[in-house]
Amino acid sequence: MSRFYRRRKFCRFTAEGVTEIDYKDIEVLKQYVSETGKIVPSRITGTKARYQRQLAKAIKRARYLALIPYTDAHQ
Amino acid sequence: MRHYEIVFLVHPDQSEQVPGMVERYSSLIKDGGGNIHRVEDWGRRQLAYPINKIHKAHYVLMNIECSKEVLEEINTAFRFNDAVIRNMVMGRKGPETEDSPIMKLERESRERKVRDDVPVDLSDSDDDDDDDDNDDDDEIDDEAEAEASADER
Repeated sequence: MSRFYRRRKFCRFTAEGVTEIDYKDIEVLKQYVSETGKIVPSRITGTKARYQRQLAKAIKRARYLALIPYTDAHQ
Repeated sequence: MRHYEIVFLVHPDQSEQVPGMVERYSSLIKDGGGNIHRVEDWGRRQLAYPINKIHKAHYVLMNIECSKEVLEEINTAFRFNDAVIRNMVMGRKGPETEDSPIMKLERESRERKVRDDVPVDLSDSDDDDDDDDNDDDDEIDDEAEAEASADER
């Protein structure tokens, strides 16, 4: 159907068998946040719903503690 | 007794108070019959966005086990301490004792710093530490180089 080959999406957390996404793991969280600071939807990243919920919570906690920005328009 | 994870941010000017504060909270928890499983001092970190016009803060992470009353006491201590600019308390299922990802990074950077301090190379160590090169630094480097070449002549 689609003419372009699209790399298959996969859920990284399911593949790694992560029990809980840590809000302190900024490097991981940054991969699921857009350049403007928005949480990237699971339909794009392929994250499973269970982990997407955890991810959202983790990102929101990290934001509150100023570990990652809410937006790129700060200051 | 329940497990909690506490993170609080201290005003950078009050950084010296941090060990005392940790000590005070620790004794508070211990007196209440609780336990302290992990205390991490992340040091002064750059904030992702300014809070009350402050750009840096001293982060402390504590994993504790305590009663509701003690937690309440700690919370009020945070509220009435002006040095604490932000705090967060989270319930946890169990004790956590391993290094957090941030602490691991912090350790690595500290080790790297120690290693870099021993050999004195000016140009390379600057590039390793911060990716965002400041223009000012480059100018200084250029000047230094110009002086060096002048000396050679």
